[in-house]
Amino acid sequence: MADLVNVTIDGVAVAVPKGTLVVDAAKKLGNDIPVFCYHPKLKPVGMCRMCLVDVGTPKVDPATKQVVKDDAGNVVIAWMPKLTTGCTTPVSEGMAVRTATQQVKDAREDVLEFLLTSHPLDCPVCDKGGECPLQNLTLAHGPGQSRFDYEAKQHNDKHVPLGDLIFLDRERCIQCARCIRFQDDIADDHVLQFFERGRHMEIMTLSEPGFDSYFSGNTTDICPVGALTSADFRFKARPWELDAAQSVCNHCPVGCNTTLNTRLETKTGGREIKRVMPRQNEQVNEIWLCDKGRFVHHYTRADDKLTQPMVRRDGKLVEATWDQAFGVIAERVRAAESVAGVIGDRIANEDAFAVARAVRSTGKGSVSMSPAISAAYADIVRACGVGAATDLKQIGKGDVILVVNADVEEQAPVWFLRLRQAAVDRGAKLVVAHHRSTKMHRYAAQIMRYEIGGIDAWVADSAKLLPDLTAARNVLIAFGDEKLDAPAARSLAQHLANLLIDSGHAGKANSGLLAMYPHGNTQGVFDVTAPMPAVAEAGVVWAVGVGDRADLPQASFLVVQDVVMTELASQADVVLPASSFAERDGSYTSGDRRVQRFYRALPAAGQARPDWWIAQEVARKLGAEWRYEGAGQIFADIVTQIPGYASLSYEALAKGEEQWPPMGRGDLYYGGTVYDNEGGLGVRYVAEAEVGTVVRYEVGAPIAALSGLERPERMLYQDGELIRRSHVMASHVVKPAVA
Amino acid sequence: MLNSMLKEKRSAEIEQILAKYPPERKRSAVMPLLYLVQEEYGYCTDDGMREVAEICGIDPTEVKSVAGFYSMYRKHAAGKYVIEVCDDLPCVLRGADKFIDYAEQKLGIKAGETTQDGKITLTTVMCLAACDRAPMCQVNLNYHYDLTPEKFDQLVDELKKRDE
Ligand code: SF4
Ligand code: SF4
Ligand code: FES
Ligand code: FES
Repeated sequence: MADLVNVTIDGVAVAVPKGTLVVDAAKKLGNDIPVFCYHPKLKPVGMCRMCLVDVGTPKVDPATKQVVKDDAGNVVIAWMPKLTTGCTTPVSEGMAVRTATQQVKDAREDVLEFLLTSHPLDCPVCDKGGECPLQNLTLAHGPGQSRFDYEAKQHNDKHVPLGDLIFLDRERCIQCARCIRFQDDIADDHVLQFFERGRHMEIMTLSEPGFDSYFSGNTTDICPVGALTSADFRFKARPWELDAAQSVCNHCPVGCNTTLNTRLETKTGGREIKRVMPRQNEQVNEIWLCDKGRFVHHYTRADDKLTQPMVRRDGKLVEATWDQAFGVIAERVRAAESVAGVIGDRIANEDAFAVARAVRSTGKGSVSMSPAISAAYADIVRACGVGAATDLKQIGKGDVILVVNADVEEQAPVWFLRLRQAAVDRGAKLVVAHHRSTKMHRYAAQIMRYEIGGIDAWVADSAKLLPDLTAARNVLIAFGDEKLDAPAARSLAQHLANLLIDSGHAGKANSGLLAMYPHGNTQGVFDVTAPMPAVAEAGVVWAVGVGDRADLPQASFLVVQDVVMTELASQADVVLPASSFAERDGSYTSGDRRVQRFYRALPAAGQARPDWWIAQEVARKLGAEWRYEGAGQIFADIVTQIPGYASLSYEALAKGEEQWPPMGRGDLYYGGTVYDNEGGLGVRYVAEAEVGTVVRYEVGAPIAALSGLERPERMLYQDGELIRRSHVMASHVVKPAVA
Repeated sequence: MLNSMLKEKRSAEIEQILAKYPPERKRSAVMPLLYLVQEEYGYCTDDGMREVAEICGIDPTEVKSVAGFYSMYRKHAAGKYVIEVCDDLPCVLRGADKFIDYAEQKLGIKAGETTQDGKITLTTVMCLAACDRAPMCQVNLNYHYDLTPEKFDQLVDELKKRDE
């Protein structure tokens, strides 16, 4: 690497890329220079002075312009007269840094002593206690005692609701502006600011509703003290009581890596999710989560969580044993002429695979997925989706991001953060085509607006983008199916794939399609089940994980398998209780084809079992011989049977790699309370266009939007069976207007 | 819905202020517009600040932050006239502290308070750059120098008479 700079830190030499800040260079050596306002994901501001170090550069003779050497031949260092903030100082060739001198130690003690003058020190009741940078740094670098009068501490409001999700404790805030900078620079929702100054300075919001942002929860992670806490977790548990299970969010196509913190509850005797935290995966979510992913988890212990099989007797659903339920189903399946399996796109790959296998092994089964529309184009995404080596961090100058008929912030929030950064911070050209305004429009270099229902006009017009696309280094196309019916959505995907093919970008790393699928495993369910369009009616309809969605075939006998008592389940003839994602292992395939594993966090609730187990038992009742012992075994079958997955293995998905900058538990004070990635980074399988020749698509149906607009626009907090069961999200749920 | 009282009542001034800045730098108009809000509503009300945000095309939170940073934007309801007396060191050396005592006694309120009739608010402020003519004060945006009890009495009488 040409651009490496050599520096010495406490006598240890290290070579780091040009532009690296002193704190990060030290970090490379495992030397943790304490910081508060600095955060590796935010631009440095040098506000808190915690990172003061002694910096020098090689002494240069003004006359000869030569570096001065001492008698022994060592370069003489000209030390700066005062300490410097390591978080704002980029390294330079030959720079020397001292982090352990008495002067530096004194500075650290002083900064901490001042920070604590009015800090309440209510660690025993503070949510951050135990994972608090201020606590940790005080222990490591603090003076031990204060010269200030305890009675002179200021007292401020400790329970200021910034919105209904985030609370501010004014006394604890150390005014580092991490939260403000996150909102300004990353989320681009300018809803937090300082108010007043000096000792009266406080964090404030004037948005309506307060702290109006889909990403507000992240500020509680990066706040270096307990000043910002979430309505969900505050006063609920101490961090050291929590167990951590590695998981993956399944609410949108991003597939953010999460950690489920659980605890045994004395009240219920059961284990509960206390909070959902990010898990660092620089390829997927870095260290961020949206508030939906963070706060929707309450359905996993909803009052109406299904824990017992039920069958309808005399018009009423009554509890039954598994065997009774299987018996009833087997009887009806044997008698029926056809069986339709409808598989929701939030269940795991292993579940979907096993359910499809069970349905097909009846010999009269057909498999479809729900919502059905994604199945109309998921094969095109599999062919022309982003190349396997794609790294969103590399998208920047010279690249084009085309957003078509998608509202990325509403439909894939963390992708929104990342695409925005590619455009705003790294100079990718953003072209947005939509029938309404979205947040993405703010950063667009080119806006192509069409009438509602007039997307075919845009398609006809889009040929004029070709020269730009062809000239671009990489081309990413994010698209959605808003207001389209299935044939039209397919045609749009075909057309966009053709743009990639015609501009020479199909099957390339950092180029390809990104689909705004409705849920976290849409691609996976499509891949492992090879669904067909739903049939109009069937003797037995077996709906698995479809929630309240109504696009089911007409059924003379309805089996509903789900996690909670949905409206649909309450109309079923048999209800089968499925484990939530938190109660079992499995894998999801994100919208950009990254297959990721998630792990069990909670014991099974009552009789609930994983979908794959239920499917296999139904099949066995009907005479099938196959049996799996666990998700890993099913995945092995997926690898051998599903094209594209052949290069994967369950073990490979669990492999990790050092994440830079390191921000997990071991570095609590550096990046916040994000978790290390111990569950694996997942593997993106190769797009078909990368290995075979790609043939232009014959675009099928004309891309006329549905004129009746029956399909509403998809919003992040759209009403649904899961979000409705989270009390903290209740006031956020929206019912999108249909027109 | 956001009220647009400011826009209705002070549209000419708003236009004048906006005309001073390039259209893509409308946010620069925040500070003069905040003075309008203060005049119109007596202090920087949340709704007034929201109006400014809308006019400048920025977020209300950012407007409030500006108002919060500068001490001459009032954040609480105040009297029609705000008497701000400097109590920084140089002024105190010239007797500002005693003068403030007198002002409090005359108005029957403490610094930071407003008279019963809602007319006059008395506050202390930092250096107003008129140290050489202390004790001094500022009433709304006008300076008064070399204050004595007599001069203050006159000033108060005059303010009280102003709206009769
Ligand atoms: S609330 Fe937390 S993140 Fe925000 S300024 Fe205060 S200490 Fe920093
Ligand atoms: S962006 Fe998507 S995957 Fe990530 S937390 Fe939000 S809903 Fe979950
Ligand atoms: S000044 Fe460097 S971390 Fe705050
Ligand atoms: S100190 Fe009072 S005006 Fe300067």
